Amino acid sequence: MLLPYLRAQKEIPGVFGMRHIAISLGLIAAVTAFTAKSSFADGIDDKVQLCSGCHGENGIPQEKSTPIIWGQNEGYLYIELRDFKSGARKNDQMSAIVADLSKQDMKALAAHFAGLKWPNTAQPSPSKDITKQALTVIGSIGCTSCHLDQYQGDGSTPRLAGQQSGYLQKTMADFRDRSRGNNPGMSDLLNAAQPADLDPIAQYLASLTVIGGGQ
Amino acid sequence: MVGIRSSHAHAAAVGTLLAFSIFTAASAQEIEHKSKEAVKGAPSPTVTQDELTKAAQDTKQFLHTNGNYEQTRYYLGKQINTANVAKLRPAWIFQMDVRESLETTPIIVGDVMYVTTSFDHVYALNAKTGEQYWHYKHKMGPITTYCCGPNNRGVAVYDDKVYLATLDAKLIALDAKTGSLVWETELADPESGYSETMAPTAVNGKIIIGTNGGEYGIRGFVRAYDAKTGKLVWNFDTVPENSVGVWATKDATGKDLHRDIEAEKAQFAKTGDPYKTLGGGVWQNPAVDLKLNRIFFVVGNPSPDLDGSQRPGDNLYTDSLVSLDLDTGKYVCHLQYIPHDVWDFDAVSPPILVDVKDKDGKVIPGVIHGGKTGFVYVHDRKDCSLIRFSEPMVAQENMWSLPTADGVRMLPGANGGVEWSPMAVNPKHSLAYAINLHQPMTYQVQSNPYPDGKLWLGGAFKVIPSEESFGNVTAVNYDTGKIKWQVKTPEPMMGGALATAGDLVFTGEANGWFRAYNAESGKVLWSFQCGAGVNAPPSAYSLDGKEYIVVGAGGNTQIDFKRGNNIIAFTLD
Repeated sequence: MLLPYLRAQKEIPGVFGMRHIAISLGLIAAVTAFTAKSSFADGIDDKVQLCSGCHGENGIPQEKSTPIIWGQNEGYLYIELRDFKSGARKNDQMSAIVADLSKQDMKALAAHFAGLKWPNTAQPSPSKDITKQALTVIGSIGCTSCHLDQYQGDGSTPRLAGQQSGYLQKTMADFRDRSRGNNPGMSDLLNAAQPADLDPIAQYLASLTVIGGGQ
Repeated sequence: MVGIRSSHAHAAAVGTLLAFSIFTAASAQEIEHKSKEAVKGAPSPTVTQDELTKAAQDTKQFLHTNGNYEQTRYYLGKQINTANVAKLRPAWIFQMDVRESLETTPIIVGDVMYVTTSFDHVYALNAKTGEQYWHYKHKMGPITTYCCGPNNRGVAVYDDKVYLATLDAKLIALDAKTGSLVWETELADPESGYSETMAPTAVNGKIIIGTNGGEYGIRGFVRAYDAKTGKLVWNFDTVPENSVGVWATKDATGKDLHRDIEAEKAQFAKTGDPYKTLGGGVWQNPAVDLKLNRIFFVVGNPSPDLDGSQRPGDNLYTDSLVSLDLDTGKYVCHLQYIPHDVWDFDAVSPPILVDVKDKDGKVIPGVIHGGKTGFVYVHDRKDCSLIRFSEPMVAQENMWSLPTADGVRMLPGANGGVEWSPMAVNPKHSLAYAINLHQPMTYQVQSNPYPDGKLWLGGAFKVIPSEESFGNVTAVNYDTGKIKWQVKTPEPMMGGALATAGDLVFTGEANGWFRAYNAESGKVLWSFQCGAGVNAPPSAYSLDGKEYIVVGAGGNTQIDFKRGNNIIAFTLD
């Protein structure tokens, strides 16, 4: 019913958008390669290397409980670094790493990793029953209100789609028992879920890709 | 799919492009022109204050988010009417790059239409053909902190400029002809939870704007900026330094709020006035009374939403209708619907100025507002006092049960009732048309300290998966408070309504249906399947003697309705 009335005032959106993204991502890769060598304050190159030690040389972390940060949203990465530094988010390893970072350094690091391509970890899709359980809880709490409909997040809200399942599960558990204390709103929301819901949610989110996102 | 990812890529690209611009002489291109005629820019006639003032009588243009300063969303054109609406058909469909939550109201100036998308894109279109003149993409800062989706509800127009407020809490002015940036003003720090989704209002050389952030512990405001320069003219804090009020134990309708006033007073003695992080966002445009030289707007919820223990007092002026002097921003009057709200039952739907009958049956200037409670509230414009409230438009169950650690069920849920969706009125019938949600929720409370601009709900409200959610379209007689008609819809309703002198009411549904109702009876006279949630308020205009109804179909983030990217204009053959 819709298509016969469609006028050709622009390209077919799917095709156009994909091309646009491919160009954008290409540009990002090119520019960040350049800026990475040119614009960081002293010592940031070393920090990038340091990050890669755990978060992965190719964007895939060494441990399942370590988050993917390549392609993560810039505002989110900055806020987390800020919170590690202030102590609002606690992690011995990260606290030591961010201790000497300036606000400018943290913003530069966030921009750097946000500009990299999200890696493909090819995590398997869960069964229909597990997916259904995950979607019921997600719908009830309203996760997509902030993380958006492909769980790609935006700005200061993290991408969840394709994140490491082990990290997702640990994070949700940490929010629930408030050992991750830098977002009480998330703690409250996760406490509205049941412990048995966490694994299905983690499996489901980890298996997702973002359409048009390269993975 | 594409638009969403595109936006994401865009956000990432912006930071990079900023860095890139250091190394290149030319800055990144942010404006697209599509057609040959676009090279010359949009044929945008300037908008005068006189046109803005007389917008209610203007059947050619749609110059305000809610149609006119009174915000009636009542369009005087009769060409499309009850007798012929069945023949309404699409004139054109324009597909935008961003496929994400769409809450924009199309604004029509001459034959140019301005629409916005999530993530703050603006398009200037040929209102007759749907062809694009220009496309502006806001250079979003890396930090955005917003509730309920990356929405934008549209632009304001005045003189030769188009005004937009953005997710990263900026107010910007664009050249109406080319879409290029004229000025940009930072309203507040997004790192502290401030964001913008509302459309600005242009009046008497000023641009009026509020702020979002009631879920993040902001201190809300409404401000006026100089339309030419972007400089601040006045500021009104929606939360005053003395936010305590009168320790009211009942809501505006007389229902007991179950407050523990002694405990609140003890807390107040300990921690003082909580005004600095008390929220009070403003989601929708003010109505403007040029005769009284005053504005009327509604203020959102207190922060944290569900936990009242940290914010003793009535939490003025949250959940209130407020009136200010237009020239100075000075307080004139207010009425608080729900003192010390712990259910996120904020006042969101834009107030409407219309003549109403007072308690003695005398016709006086009034203000009406559709509440999350499901009531239509009717006020005396002179002093904001409440004349009456309507029959409830949705079932009210367990109101006002206090949230508990385990969760308490209540209806309406935190989305209403009437959410941000603007009502429309038909003054001929004294009817207000509201769209509602029936969405039971459980309310859980959990006390947390202020988290520095992060999400601060003070608990959680949760849709109950085993219970049915649906919606309705309701016509309420604001002179009597009685419901004239009501039509149940399969999905909860969010978007807005438009009434016309052709005795029609237009509104859309989450399942993609856009419908015309008979204004007097509620009978559905026309329907069109738009392919995505119609969760945006419709507009109307006429060109070359032909009337058009236009609406966005792009779904909604807040309650996860099917996304799309269409602006659809309808007309008769």
